[in-house]
Amino acid sequence: MEFDISGARIFFRIPTGIPVLGDILITETWVVSWIVMAIITGLCIYLTRDLKVEKISKRQAIAEMIVDSANNLVRNNTGGTKFDRLIPFVSALFATSVVSNLISLTGIFRSPTADLSTEAGWAVVVFIMITMEKIKAGGILGYMKGFTEPIAVMTPFNILSELATPVSMACRHFGNILSGVVINGLIYAALAVASAALLGLIPGAVGDFLSHIPILSVGIPAILSFYFDWFSGVMQAFIFTMLTIMYIANAAEG
Amino acid sequence: MSSGTQELVTIIPWTFIAQILNLFIQVYLIKRFLFKPINEVLEKRRQMADQEIKEAREAKEAADSLKVQYEEGLAGARAEAAQIVQSAQKEAQIKADETLKQAQEHAAGIRRKAEADIAQEKKKAINEVKDEIGGLAMDIAGKVVEKEINEADHKKLIDEFIKNVGEAS
Repeated sequence: MEFDISGARIFFRIPTGIPVLGDILITETWVVSWIVMAIITGLCIYLTRDLKVEKISKRQAIAEMIVDSANNLVRNNTGGTKFDRLIPFVSALFATSVVSNLISLTGIFRSPTADLSTEAGWAVVVFIMITMEKIKAGGILGYMKGFTEPIAVMTPFNILSELATPVSMACRHFGNILSGVVINGLIYAALAVASAALLGLIPGAVGDFLSHIPILSVGIPAILSFYFDWFSGVMQAFIFTMLTIMYIANAAEG
Repeated sequence: MSSGTQELVTIIPWTFIAQILNLFIQVYLIKRFLFKPINEVLEKRRQMADQEIKEAREAKEAADSLKVQYEEGLAGARAEAAQIVQSAQKEAQIKADETLKQAQEHAAGIRRKAEADIAQEKKKAINEVKDEIGGLAMDIAGKVVEKEINEADHKKLIDEFIKNVGEAS
């Protein structure tokens, strides 16, 4: 039994000849990301169709609830309305992350978040925002000076811990999603082997035929998927979002 | 279609860039299609609620001022009524007093007249009695006293008698 977990499939390769960046690979990550974006945007448009001030529809109530909870999440964690401009960013991050994580449940699409490039991109954006907030709060010199505290010897470690922020954020999210992919892959493979062994006990051509159908794969993975896809998927999106809010709020406080 | 797969754990620069761009596009889309319309509606609702509260407050103020006005009007009316009653009472009192006075005057007049009448009647009666008694005395005297007393003594006797009678009456 061969078992292989691979990265995202590459659909097209656009040669660019740029040295560092290399070729543009239109992979599953790209395509599924677009699908995710289309789903989120479509949902937004659907939910906000014919808005009313009074006697609102259930749809509008849901949309208002989403906006309210996004507002509250950011405001409660930053203590005030100072970071209201972050709300759409945080919401987009959370929505993209959740939908990307859960889209693998369809069985057709591979999560874009199971590609480290995605989380790395997000983490770098968050890192830049954190740094900008820090510079805004303490000035460029104050930002630089922050690395030498409490003593100058700590400077390398401070720089390291600063850089660890985006790396840990990206790797945490990616690792959790990838672990789900790996575990699910293993379970499907194992269950296929198990059902082949079980049904292979039936003698003759019938057993031979049935052993190719991984009958045990029906149902059992759903239980594990509840943790690895649903719980982990939502949890990681929430953690990533919360960390983003916290880091930026802390950065602004200096 | 497929031309292999990428590494399981790797960062592909273009994918990295594309995902950053995707994130910002998503931020714009979510802002444009979710936050903007919903926040507009929420703001509109908030304004409407504010407006309604303001209107209610204004209505209450108007009602309050109207109430004050009515109360003032009512108090004025009450005072006026009291005044009317008072003046009516006063007038009635004056009238009654006047009537009483008139009646008393009238009564006094009647009484006076009656007294005068009585006095006059009395006088008249006395005079009449005097005359009659005079005549009577004369007759009696004439009859009783056979002897003719002279005229002077006679007269003196009569006058004395009359005087006595007058004092007695």
